[in-house]
Amino acid sequence: MEAAATIPWWVWPIALATVGFLIGVVAVLAGIGGGVLFVPIVGSFFPFHLDFVRGAGLLFALAGTLAAGPQLLRSGMASLRLVMPLGLAGSICSVAGAIVGLGMNADLLQALLGVLVIAIAFVIWLTRSAEVGIVDPDALARMLKLEGRFTDPAAGTRIDWKTHRTLAGFAAFGAIGFLGGVFGLGAGFANVPALNLLMAAPLKVAVGSSALIISIINSSAAWVYIHRGAVLPLLVVPSILGVMLGSRLGARLLETVPAKQVRWLVIVVMLVAGFRALLRGTGLWI
Amino acid sequence: MDLMQATYARWLDIATRIGFAVSLVAFLLYVSGAIEPLVPLEQLPQLWNLPASRFVALTGEPTGWGWLALLAKSDFLNLGAVALFGVVTLVCYARIVPLLFAAGERPQAYIALAQVVVLAAAAAGFFTGGR
Repeated sequence: MEAAATIPWWVWPIALATVGFLIGVVAVLAGIGGGVLFVPIVGSFFPFHLDFVRGAGLLFALAGTLAAGPQLLRSGMASLRLVMPLGLAGSICSVAGAIVGLGMNADLLQALLGVLVIAIAFVIWLTRSAEVGIVDPDALARMLKLEGRFTDPAAGTRIDWKTHRTLAGFAAFGAIGFLGGVFGLGAGFANVPALNLLMAAPLKVAVGSSALIISIINSSAAWVYIHRGAVLPLLVVPSILGVMLGSRLGARLLETVPAKQVRWLVIVVMLVAGFRALLRGTGLWI
Repeated sequence: MDLMQATYARWLDIATRIGFAVSLVAFLLYVSGAIEPLVPLEQLPQLWNLPASRFVALTGEPTGWGWLALLAKSDFLNLGAVALFGVVTLVCYARIVPLLFAAGERPQAYIALAQVVVLAAAAAGFFTGGR
């Protein structure tokens, strides 16, 4: 990393904007939130301290999902009604996670990040989506009206959906928010299975709503990093400008592009970045 | 699409576009050298590999809301632009709360109100001793 200090400062914003744009496109298509790619990639291959990378990761995922939000809401792929209670649980826990994360040793955090990212890659690999049809909603889901109608232009079908297991959903999004706050991740990797497999939202609604939940959860945790001085504008701004442009393109492509190929690309990138983070955190490859 | 979702989408779109435009302008002012930063850009490569607490101690950067007083410096102007993204969701939620109450959707309205409180508390530094 000493060699990195000799590279002119202006090289890094250009590299960050490029990485941000590419992650923005891929993250929306895969429904994973950019932070889960940004933090391990930038934390492993760029010279910045992990504190700044995690702060940037939260803002990166936040900006990307904010940019994609309007398109996802208008197309019906994101349901605000579904997102609101889950986002509240997640955002409260994300603040706690951010405080814990900023108090941890950087090497330990980097090694744990590597393990987590490798594990997430396997989860994405092994997770199968479920189109479960209409489920019988629980009392809480009925009270909160966690239901909707989604028209899928790619399949030419209209889906009426409802969700169930609302309390388990609250617990899942609390845990997801905490981890997201600790590691500065978008945590969409876990949002989609939680919405789809656990709560029975249709896959495309789960992907779209996942992005919106990330924007809510990360809004809370980002302030912890801002107030602690862990946000470096030269790192954050080019990254978020890149991801916002990339996410808008990704949201437009989402209705037509098959997610399978994107998913494999994400798995490979995460494995590489995860192993690099693990080796860096353990001191085996600085 | 119901009124709540349409309103949220419209406000989110406008707020995000404003955030994007402000960030872009602030960043160009920063990297072009048009406005002087507190920490010179050329010094950053020697500092950005330090933990945030050490970085703050060495540069004298303020924590909490102290950066508001330094908005005339281009690095903190950029921090302000970044912070705009942190308030977008708060603004959108605050906009739909009255709509939900007006529609008689009290459970959703209280959830939205609770979210506004959590976001406002986080932004105020309530959880981190911000000032």
